[in-house]
Amino acid sequence: MTNRSRSVYARKRSPWRSIGIVMRSVWARGTGKFSLIVLAIWLVVSLVSLFWTPHSLWATDGYHVWSSPSRAHWLGTDGTGADIASWLMAGAGVDLLIAVLTVVVALAIGLLLTACMVARSTVLSRGSVVLIDALISIPTILVALMLAVPFGASVGVIVAACGLSYGLNMARVCRPQALRVANSSFVESARHSGVGAWRVFMRHVVPNIRSVMMVQLSLSAGTAVLAEAGLTYLGVGVPSGVPSWGHSLATSAKFITVYPLTVVWIGGCVTIAVIALNLLGDALRDASDPLTNPALRQVDYGA
Amino acid sequence: MTHTNGADHMHATDPNTSDGPHAGPSLDPELNLRLKQPRGGVPGRIVALVVALAVIVSFTLAWMLKPSGAAGGVTRQDSVAIGLNLAPTNLDIRSTAGTALDQLLIGNVYEGLLSRNEQNEAVPGLAKSWDVSADGTQYTFALNTGVKFSNGDAMDADDVVWSINELVKHQYHDANQLKFFKSVSAPDSHTVTITLSQPYAQLPWALTTRAGLVFDKDASYNYRTKAIGTGPYVITSFIPNDSVSLTANKHYWNIVQPQTPHITIKYFTDDNAAVNALSSGSIQVLSPITASLAAPFRDNDHYVVRAGDGTDKYVLAMNNAPGQPTANKDVREAIRYAIDTKQLIAARGGADSALGGPIPSLDPGYEDLTGLYPHDVAKARSLLARAGYTKDHPLKLTLTYSNTYGTEIGNQLRSQLKQANIDLTVHVVEFSTWLQQVYTDKNYQLSLVDHNESHDFASSWANPDYYFNYHNQRVQELTEQALSSTSAEESDKLLAQAARIVSEDAAADWLFNYRITTAMDAGVSGFPTVMNQIHMPLVNVVYVK
Repeated sequence: MTNRSRSVYARKRSPWRSIGIVMRSVWARGTGKFSLIVLAIWLVVSLVSLFWTPHSLWATDGYHVWSSPSRAHWLGTDGTGADIASWLMAGAGVDLLIAVLTVVVALAIGLLLTACMVARSTVLSRGSVVLIDALISIPTILVALMLAVPFGASVGVIVAACGLSYGLNMARVCRPQALRVANSSFVESARHSGVGAWRVFMRHVVPNIRSVMMVQLSLSAGTAVLAEAGLTYLGVGVPSGVPSWGHSLATSAKFITVYPLTVVWIGGCVTIAVIALNLLGDALRDASDPLTNPALRQVDYGA
Repeated sequence: MTHTNGADHMHATDPNTSDGPHAGPSLDPELNLRLKQPRGGVPGRIVALVVALAVIVSFTLAWMLKPSGAAGGVTRQDSVAIGLNLAPTNLDIRSTAGTALDQLLIGNVYEGLLSRNEQNEAVPGLAKSWDVSADGTQYTFALNTGVKFSNGDAMDADDVVWSINELVKHQYHDANQLKFFKSVSAPDSHTVTITLSQPYAQLPWALTTRAGLVFDKDASYNYRTKAIGTGPYVITSFIPNDSVSLTANKHYWNIVQPQTPHITIKYFTDDNAAVNALSSGSIQVLSPITASLAAPFRDNDHYVVRAGDGTDKYVLAMNNAPGQPTANKDVREAIRYAIDTKQLIAARGGADSALGGPIPSLDPGYEDLTGLYPHDVAKARSLLARAGYTKDHPLKLTLTYSNTYGTEIGNQLRSQLKQANIDLTVHVVEFSTWLQQVYTDKNYQLSLVDHNESHDFASSWANPDYYFNYHNQRVQELTEQALSSTSAEESDKLLAQAARIVSEDAAADWLFNYRITTAMDAGVSGFPTVMNQIHMPLVNVVYVK
């Protein structure tokens, strides 16, 4: 880095440059590499499944149910004679959508609640802590069941239930760190310079709780995939006819003693995807924290 | 310390570190300490792997070396454990619906005036014989002598009269089976006379249902937790939704005495748990078992797998109400032509039998109607074209059914109907939702139910108020005549005629006649495999090992 460029960065924030550094250092770790590769495959398969699957999802063949893997059916067929590989591909898309939407909802809810908990108003901060502690005790599955009664089983119900629960969790975990920042002297000085509360929160609090958030959100994404599988297995997840990993699991788990292979495929998909998401969270945290990633300290954020 | 400070600090003191993202650690000792160091944990992992392998190997060896049962002489066991699926929530057979109670109690704990055989016909029970008057309105039953309830009370004609009068008075479950009932009386202590307002050929069969059960007039007990009957077994323990223990009734009156002193019935909601229980030997009989899950037992000499006939009709109900697309007969016929029932049966493991009409082979009035609507997609398409639906303008229908039947069958129907230009939307709902929306409100287009009741033709197809919304004057007349006929033969013939009309009308599609698959230890005999989900007498069950 030359002095000239350094002076440019000194004056300007450089989010793209730091994202590049973070991604490169994630890639440099073994676990990070694994999760980036898995997520890339997941994304590509999901996109492909929108336009093409080896067989139509709706082609069933009652005379060839539970067939073993063959050239025509790479992973064999399920209990209706439909192609397992096609259903897994299409399910990958739906599960990716659920994971992304859950993260977005959890992030929105989590930030809002964190903001409430570190608010200057004692009523708001104390009240929200009590409220969150109370709400956090309601299991995700119960929320999903309650939502599924009026709205029926749908992707929206899973996203809402998971997003709410994980948002609450994130807020609760972020609170100590956020509180420390909110009470720090630089926040105080910003406040005294007349910066608004919301702006202080976004400019000072959020960047400082970013690494905690990242770990929480990547865990949420992983848990959302597991929750989808579990809820669909119970019949309150995605509706019949929507391909998803939970759907594939529910139809094959009944016959695990007779056709164990069908459960292995889907179980492998879910496990690898969830491991990748969880490892990505760890790698991201390490890579994005200037304390643990020296390369990041080369980037000047400016004042 | 803020980020800005840290960065400035480094640039100021050591410019060499700024040559890339892989720059070395900071000069700040505090930061260096917080850097993650790669750990040398390889030996730890190897140890863990070795331990895990050792555990797996030792378990496998232990399992392989396990003594594989006694080889020598077989002995009759004192107890048998039977695995079933649907559990009763209480024991009150008079007012609690559900076939789980019929299965458990009728013929085992309670006995009816008449009993039924494997052909689903009425045979002597507590009554050893019966006569019908010439006009068909008076039935006289001669009771067996020396019959005692399990509490020691003697059973006589007064108990029978009291039981039937209570049934009619409180309209207990199955009271509707006693059609045209007028009165019941006891001319002497071993004779009972039932008088009807008009002839009813199916009265003897009706008395094999809950309507004919005889309870102890003099005993006062909680019917929900206890059961005092004349049957071969008494209930010694009842854990709702889990298990029931039966012990031989020492007062049992019949020459045929219970063969096994103790029978335990375990209820499994999870198929895999049930299968594991059977293979581990904690139960000796499992019924029903999904045909596909039974495959490993079929190949194993230690087990016997049998499929028995039943009266379960998997009906694809089509709402016949005016205004519905399925009110059009062309549409209904097209659906029947479009569905390949043979393929559905094959996918389920091939145990079930084809069913072409509303009456299954074990019920009176059965006729093989499977030839009426063979699988013919071309014909289905042309019928739909006549009704105005084509490939570009497909018929959109919604199928609503309970999640107890699984999602597979819905997917298969959607796939099959798609070939005939029908776009099927499948709603799999909770049973309670189905009950309200489809059964009570009749707000549906297509539905799927396993109608397992026997002798239910009259109450479903000759009843315009039923959720099928099927209203056919001729069918109702024929059914009426059949029920009030004095001759069983003629009654059967009339019912068969009515059933044929219903099937020709394509009032619904009958997908298949579900046959119950039972898997049991090869040492078990005497367990009923026919209709055993509604009638499961255990008196002859023997288990030798």
